Amino acid sequence: MNFDFAAFLEALIHRSPPHVLEHLLLVLVPLLLAVAISFPTGILLTRPRYRPFAGQVLALLNAGQTIPPLAVICIFLPVWGLGYRPAVIALTIYALLPIARNTIAGISGVPLEVREAARGMGMTAREVLLQVELPLSFPVIMTGIKTSAVLTVGTATLATLVGARGMGAVIFAGINFRRVELILAGTLVIGVMALLLDRILTLIEYALTPRFLR
Amino acid sequence: MIELEGLTKHYPNSKKPAVDDFSLKMAEGETCVFVGPSGCGKTTILRMINRLVEPTSGSIRIDGKDVLSADQDQLRRNMGYVIQQIGLLPHRTVRDNVALVPRLLGWAEERTLKRVQELLGLVGLDPEETGGKYPHQLSGGQMQRVGVARAMAADPPIMLMDEPFGAVDPIVRSRLQDEFLQIQHSFNKTICFVTHDIDEAMKMGDKVAIINEGKLVQHGTPMEVLSQPAGPFVRNLLGEDRGVKLLDLTKCQDLMRRDEGLLQKLQGNPCTIGALQPVKAALEVMLRKDCDTVTVLRGDRAVGALTWQEIKGHIHGLSGEDHEL
Ligand SMILES: Nc1ncnc2c1ncn2[C@@H]1O[C@H](COP(=O)(O)OP(=O)(O)OP(=O)(O)O)[C@@H](O)[C@H]1O
Ligand SMILES: [Mg+2]
Repeated sequence: MNFDFAAFLEALIHRSPPHVLEHLLLVLVPLLLAVAISFPTGILLTRPRYRPFAGQVLALLNAGQTIPPLAVICIFLPVWGLGYRPAVIALTIYALLPIARNTIAGISGVPLEVREAARGMGMTAREVLLQVELPLSFPVIMTGIKTSAVLTVGTATLATLVGARGMGAVIFAGINFRRVELILAGTLVIGVMALLLDRILTLIEYALTPRFLR
Repeated sequence: MIELEGLTKHYPNSKKPAVDDFSLKMAEGETCVFVGPSGCGKTTILRMINRLVEPTSGSIRIDGKDVLSADQDQLRRNMGYVIQQIGLLPHRTVRDNVALVPRLLGWAEERTLKRVQELLGLVGLDPEETGGKYPHQLSGGQMQRVGVARAMAADPPIMLMDEPFGAVDPIVRSRLQDEFLQIQHSFNKTICFVTHDIDEAMKMGDKVAIINEGKLVQHGTPMEVLSQPAGPFVRNLLGEDRGVKLLDLTKCQDLMRRDEGLLQKLQGNPCTIGALQPVKAALEVMLRKDCDTVTVLRGDRAVGALTWQEIKGHIHGLSGEDHEL
């Protein structure tokens, strides 16, 4: 395999862009779904009534995380078939753990005496959650979301194997046709996407973080 | 009036109850100090009064109304609480921390801010300078002041104060105590004050409740406790210098002799003391200036005299048969 710089540029400028949007959708949709599932679940698992189950749920999610993403997709192949939808479902499952774990860790990390004081002043459990626990755990929760985001940018590459396309289409074409330029171009684009997504989320986090925590 | 009756708390997985059949009445406007060694159950009692801890058995009534069937959040909003670990909200400014309860109660913002301003001044913090700071930018003593201001914000008739001056050095503590006594005199709140410092208890309390292993050992005025300690535990807690502590509680004007003849003789006596000073201070003057008689002054005028004999007699009289002094 020889490296052909012109071909590399061609792959970067002409082949990749059409797949960037596909890839972005394969990242953002599962990410939003994962936040929608994991964030409320994480909160619920820190409420006194459900706290005893937090450990078990995390263990389950942890186990899920150890299954290779390709295997997750394959396991559900008979159920969901090929295409965009099963890819999104698999990627969502994959993105759940970091968000749930950090939501639980963040809220549990709020100092006991702060919670006690808030309760002691007469805040309702709801007010304590919204005005104390969530603002204080926000940076930790955002870290979980960023971890999931970066993770999903990478694993979404595999979605092309079940026909969902994305940047994986470029990389796997490179593998199949032994064109190292394609592999490199695809990898570079994915890397930049991961970095940009992380930056953007960091900016959002900064804008929303209570002033003292910055 | 707060009435605790047969209050007992048995935490799960512990052998002995943390609070054991505890009964006590606190009159309106009275400061009652709970004092006892670490782990004797002081915090648990306070937290049962505002229902952060549910009693295993017993009852709590405030002005005759059963606390245990009241709405928790409403109850707490009407009860100032200074927690032992201070517990300021780290993501809120000092101003917003103090404004917490007024806002929960739905006060108009203007009234809230005015009140915050007033309270910060009251606890000796500059509202302009400190109001916008975050808790982590404050010293320990400043944080405690904010904690006290926060508890007082909505002007609750009852205050629960758990070692409110615990995190500061003795000098600052003594100043905070004095300032708080000043505040208390002008507001007439019912205060449950927790400390493990017996001197603080004697200084701050109208009444003192001495607690050991969850049980009430003695309840009375500081004078009663010092002069008639109920048993060896209390005597031990009071320390070897019980007599001196007694002299600290007695004002010179209460013990002095108003004897015109004696005053005549004492003209020009270099040993003098203010009438409102504790007798302990008069004793200090005697020792320092090596004299047996101190002239008691109100302003510039001599109003009485204190002799060494009288001070000795006072200690012996109050402590009665107790020869351990
Ligand atoms: N939440 C809890 N669960 C179990 N045991 C507890 C709990 N809180 C307190 N205890 C136990 O109850 C006893 C009384 O504790 P408490 O905090 O009331 O003591 P305290 O008098 O306030 O002590 P200190 O002066 O150290 O603050 C202690 O033995 C403590 O270990
Ligand atoms: Mg305590």
